[in-house]
Amino acid sequence: MNSRRHFLRRLGLSAAALPFVSNLSAFATTPARTARKQRLVVMFSPNGTVPWDFWPDEQGETFTLKRILEPLKDFQNKTLILKGVCDKVRGDGDNHMRGMGCLLTGIELYPGNIQGGSDTPAGWASGISIDQEIARFLQAKEETRTRFGSLEFGVMVPDRADTWTRMSYAGANKPITPIDDPYQMFRRLYGQVRDREVLGSILDSVEQDLQKISKVVSREDRHLLEEHTTFVRSMEEQLRTAANADAGHAVPVLEPGIREENDNIPQITKMQLDLLVNSFVNDFARVATFQITNSVGQPKMNWLGIDEGHHELSHEPNENKEAHEKLTKINTWYCEQMAYLVKRLSETPEPGGEGSLLDNTLIVWGNELGQGNSHTLDNIPFVMVGNGLDFQMGRSLVFPKVPHNRLLVALAHGFGHHLETFGNPDFCRDGVLTGLT
Amino acid sequence: MRHLSVFAFLLSISLTACSPGDERSGILDRGRLVYEAKCISCHGQNGTGTPDAPAPLFGDRPVSELADVIDRTMPEGAADQCTGDDARAVAEWMQQAFYSPEAQARLNPPRIELTRLTVAQYRNAIADLGTSFRWRTVPGSQRGLNADYFSSRNHRRDRRVFQRLDNAVNFQFGAFSPDGEKISEDAFAIAWEGSLIPRESGWYEFVIRTENGARLFVNNRATPLIDASVRSGSDVVFHGSRYLLSGRLYPIRLDWFKFKEPTASVQLLWKSPGSVEELIPERHLVPEGSAEVLIAETPFPPDDRSAGYERGISVSPEWDEATTNAAVEVADRVVASVRDLAKIRDNDNRTEKIREFGRQFAERAFRRPLDEETRRIFVDEQFAAAKSDEEGLRRVVIAALKSPRFLYREVTGTDDQLDRASRLAFALLNSVPDAALMEAAAKGQLATEDQIRQQAWRMVGDSRARSRMLEFLRSWMNLDRIQDIAKNPEAFPDYTDRLSADLKISLELFLEQVVDSESGDFRQLLLSDTIFMNGRMAQFYGAGLAADAEFQEVRFEPERRAGIVSHPFLLSGLAYTETSSPIHRGVFLSRGILGRGVKPPPIAVSPTAPELAPDLTTRQRVIVQTGPEMCANCHGLINPLGFALENFDAVGRHRGSEKGQPIDATGQYLQRNGGLTRFNGARELAAFLARSEETHRAFVRQFFHHMVQQPILAYGTDSIQELSESFKNQEFRLKNLQVEIAVRSALRGWSTNSQPVVANAPNSSP
Repeated sequence: MNSRRHFLRRLGLSAAALPFVSNLSAFATTPARTARKQRLVVMFSPNGTVPWDFWPDEQGETFTLKRILEPLKDFQNKTLILKGVCDKVRGDGDNHMRGMGCLLTGIELYPGNIQGGSDTPAGWASGISIDQEIARFLQAKEETRTRFGSLEFGVMVPDRADTWTRMSYAGANKPITPIDDPYQMFRRLYGQVRDREVLGSILDSVEQDLQKISKVVSREDRHLLEEHTTFVRSMEEQLRTAANADAGHAVPVLEPGIREENDNIPQITKMQLDLLVNSFVNDFARVATFQITNSVGQPKMNWLGIDEGHHELSHEPNENKEAHEKLTKINTWYCEQMAYLVKRLSETPEPGGEGSLLDNTLIVWGNELGQGNSHTLDNIPFVMVGNGLDFQMGRSLVFPKVPHNRLLVALAHGFGHHLETFGNPDFCRDGVLTGLT
Repeated sequence: MRHLSVFAFLLSISLTACSPGDERSGILDRGRLVYEAKCISCHGQNGTGTPDAPAPLFGDRPVSELADVIDRTMPEGAADQCTGDDARAVAEWMQQAFYSPEAQARLNPPRIELTRLTVAQYRNAIADLGTSFRWRTVPGSQRGLNADYFSSRNHRRDRRVFQRLDNAVNFQFGAFSPDGEKISEDAFAIAWEGSLIPRESGWYEFVIRTENGARLFVNNRATPLIDASVRSGSDVVFHGSRYLLSGRLYPIRLDWFKFKEPTASVQLLWKSPGSVEELIPERHLVPEGSAEVLIAETPFPPDDRSAGYERGISVSPEWDEATTNAAVEVADRVVASVRDLAKIRDNDNRTEKIREFGRQFAERAFRRPLDEETRRIFVDEQFAAAKSDEEGLRRVVIAALKSPRFLYREVTGTDDQLDRASRLAFALLNSVPDAALMEAAAKGQLATEDQIRQQAWRMVGDSRARSRMLEFLRSWMNLDRIQDIAKNPEAFPDYTDRLSADLKISLELFLEQVVDSESGDFRQLLLSDTIFMNGRMAQFYGAGLAADAEFQEVRFEPERRAGIVSHPFLLSGLAYTETSSPIHRGVFLSRGILGRGVKPPPIAVSPTAPELAPDLTTRQRVIVQTGPEMCANCHGLINPLGFALENFDAVGRHRGSEKGQPIDATGQYLQRNGGLTRFNGARELAAFLARSEETHRAFVRQFFHHMVQQPILAYGTDSIQELSESFKNQEFRLKNLQVEIAVRSALRGWSTNSQPVVANAPNSSP
């Protein structure tokens, strides 16, 4: 830190200039040669799964992936399936609300004015979510600190803030809005790089103009403009230095003009996943959430030949084979998105480290319900892929209906953050979820 | 140069004239000879100082006082060598040779300097650039917000039950509905809408208190400042902040609803700069809608205030960087609302509209039409370098706002009518010229002084000019320095932050009353025998108002109190936590109101604690403490002014005695012309101040500096005199002075090295 500050001072950069340079690799702190980078992605899709097409019949290391999880077959040895993990949080709100608001927080919703179904109305979750807790843990330490700490991606999240549309919480009553517009996410991630380019060329014009104007100004007044010119010049110089440093930076190119609408969900999802991979390459964050639509989400997957909304279909009884065929296709599509992310991560070498990004990343796929028609909060379809947390992958496990809080604690432990409990401590009496490592 | 020759001319007249002149020139000659013989070795040529006595000799003491000091103390160590007539003669000569402010101006003629925009000017200019593409609302006399009441939790048009004007948002419905017949208590909604009039420029914190759902929009129709529509847990207080500039209206809307909660209530509050949280008062709310204002929130380093007023005479890397950050901030805001700003409709040629908007934006930012080359650099090339219209516009805005043509005042040095328009606008509004003024300049209608005056009178009616006047009055009274007044809770248990905020509001209301009154008479600020009070203030000071009374004008102790001189906000601000402070009050009166130069104490002194002098009154204690010779110089001026307010204690309550002794509120003032005035109590003091030319001149000088940000003497050595006379001839009407200052400054720019303004103002005496 000291040497960095010294270096900045030598460059003549004030603290206020830091936003322009702080994310440059050239300026980044050299991490002490300690542990590997570890990353977590929590992926969400709504409305429960189709159990018989999801859970493998076998337990242990030898198992066959069912239809929904089949897209992961190339990575089966990096996959861990967790049956029997249940969201036991009760209290206010309907199951869709609690499923969403308690998925990552493990704690009750506050009473409030959001009414779902016939249950009591509820408000926001009453605690922080595990992704934010881990991000906070990582940001607190010099060697794991990143520019953003965490990034919250979304795909077609409705433009309304309520208990069904938020799963990440910075604290009690502090839901975090996911960014579901890839262009907005791009601006957040790379806006400064673009600003640097634009500013550099604009300042060149400004400097010429300053010199021209200096000529008409009297001798006594000229010093003011001359001084100003030196500042503009030094800013230009800084920008040039920064631009050179940017050259090694991977800035993705987005396909322009993709509107935020139902039929563009596949493109938007891909764009967002690409941005996610890119932000890991640039080490902008070590934690991310990826929320496809929302709890009770209603995407109409026309691209699969399905005209009904997902939530509507999920209410159909088990006997409705046609509906469940569609639900299986829908959930398979979600899994394909996860598989795309897994593939991209596996193909991307870990910058400055060993192996691929996938070797240092754990993806957790979850859902607000176990199954849509029963609205059960048991057997949340949790699947994990990647070797980010030293879990023993390539297995299919079945737990005896354990509270999912214990899984949340296990995620923290995976990062070396040894929490005793997380969320409602009543659900953590048996400690961290065992058998994962 | 001209000043010197006039001086020489006057000298030559006095040399050839008859006896009184002869006598005076004799005295001056004698004074010069004495100075050269006995003073110059230490004080140097023209009193500029030497290593023996480095402090330069200049000030505003009258000759008699100067002579007295010389008589008693000079030359140092041999005070008997220059006494009596010699001391008098050297004082006379020093006075006109270099000591007085006028002589200083002659020796070092101040210059109109090239300056950059001050931070306030920058923010105002951005706001008004934006507004020039939208519209401005001139509110009517109604106050409060429009309220739509709905019988559903949503704002469904068909469920609107009634509409009315609410003077504040402060409702406790309990378990009931606002209308038992038409609205069920289960679910209902209210939308309040209108505009906000801020008090001063600065950060405003908005607060909603409700156990129900609410969303607040302030100066942004799309994104709520506070989104508390999800009721969750026990949170009932929600906060959000916005930077607002005074003199402008801001759209505000509060959407509120009840849904199944057992009770309902809602309050909309704010905390304005330097005040406490309070319900947004009715007088700051109007039912009319208004356009969003373009605000640059980027923090800037503060401006130089070393001369007593903010001015843009220096640049720094921090400032340069702030201008970059602000340019990017503004560009992003402009691009985000380009549809609205450029008035793009569906069938329009978008590219054409955006380019035209970009050109106009640069033109208005630069305050003049773009010549071919400027247009090429700042508009055409920027659009050419961009991949899309929006990106091009972003570049144009950044380039324009980084250009010296925007950042500096009248930088092209053309000193044409467009420059006059700029100077007029900055003086009156602290901002860029509006369309009407630019048009007048383009048509050559700012050629004569009368034409300029006519425009000035048009502009002085603008709410921004009114804000500027109020802003100056605050700076005249140095209100910035009076913040967070706290009193010893044991001595004054009822003096709360809330009361202190009330006092400030009371003073603000008084200033507004004087500024808005028909006569707009400056002297009312000093002489008024009424005060604004609400119930809380009345209870504290013992005036007869109900405890919950709203602010209103009352006659309170009219025989004892006078305008700002005895306003409890100033009296308690210029006091210690338990005792009054004649020194603070005296400095306020001498430096602020009478415009005397009072130097900081030569040594750091902590005031004698009252406990250490248990038998002395405050007055006696102050006299003892400032007794030493080195204190007496300034405290001889300060203390007797402050003593006249001794019958007001540390919280501005009237008192007849202190420590068992009757209050002595007599005071005096030695005027710069040598005359001595005596007074007893606030009313006599105020009467003197109101008629004193020194007060008028000080007010004129400070107002000029506040408006123009250049030394007034650079506009002719007689500027203060001429403007003061014009002020007096116009019955001290504040607006007249504001106009005359603006006109005078409009006529001269930094590049005008030609002759100073010839005073042909019809209001000035010859």
